[in-house]
Amino acid sequence: MGVSADHIATLEAWGKQNKISYLLLSDFRRAMLPSYDALVTDEKSPIFRYAKRAYFVIDKNGIVRWIKVEANPLDLLDPAEVLKALKDAGV
Amino acid sequence: MRRATAPLVAALLLTGLALTVPAAALEVGQKAPDFTLAAPGGKQVKLSDLTAKGPVVIFTFIQAFTGT
Repeated sequence: MGVSADHIATLEAWGKQNKISYLLLSDFRRAMLPSYDALVTDEKSPIFRYAKRAYFVIDKNGIVRWIKVEANPLDLLDPAEVLKALKDAGV
Repeated sequence: MRRATAPLVAALLLTGLALTVPAAALEVGQKAPDFTLAAPGGKQVKLSDLTAKGPVVIFTFIQAFTGT
């Protein structure tokens, strides 16, 4: 599932336009992102108070099994890397 | 006078430092902080409800409609 700081109405429209089949969640109040260290808090950054590009694998017991935070938010992760992380974590 | 106030100044400085140290980042092996967030259709989704059904992959992204 994807999480951003966008308003839910924005995510709903974006998901519909792009026919996104996975879950999109809105952290408009910036409640979840800081607890995952996934909020940009550098006031000089053009994306201040928006989400970092980060990935988390959580197992069925709620334990974090894999984390990747991209230093450059424009870097996209190869989906194969997430699949490998899932396989390695045995979840 | 200077000698008497030195410990007080040091304590204030240390308190200030402690307040500015950011919270430790989330690490592998830790319990994922639970959250409830808004989903399309007016629903509220809780992480622990999802993980009860199986593993979850979360990705965070910058902004919709921007290609980021």
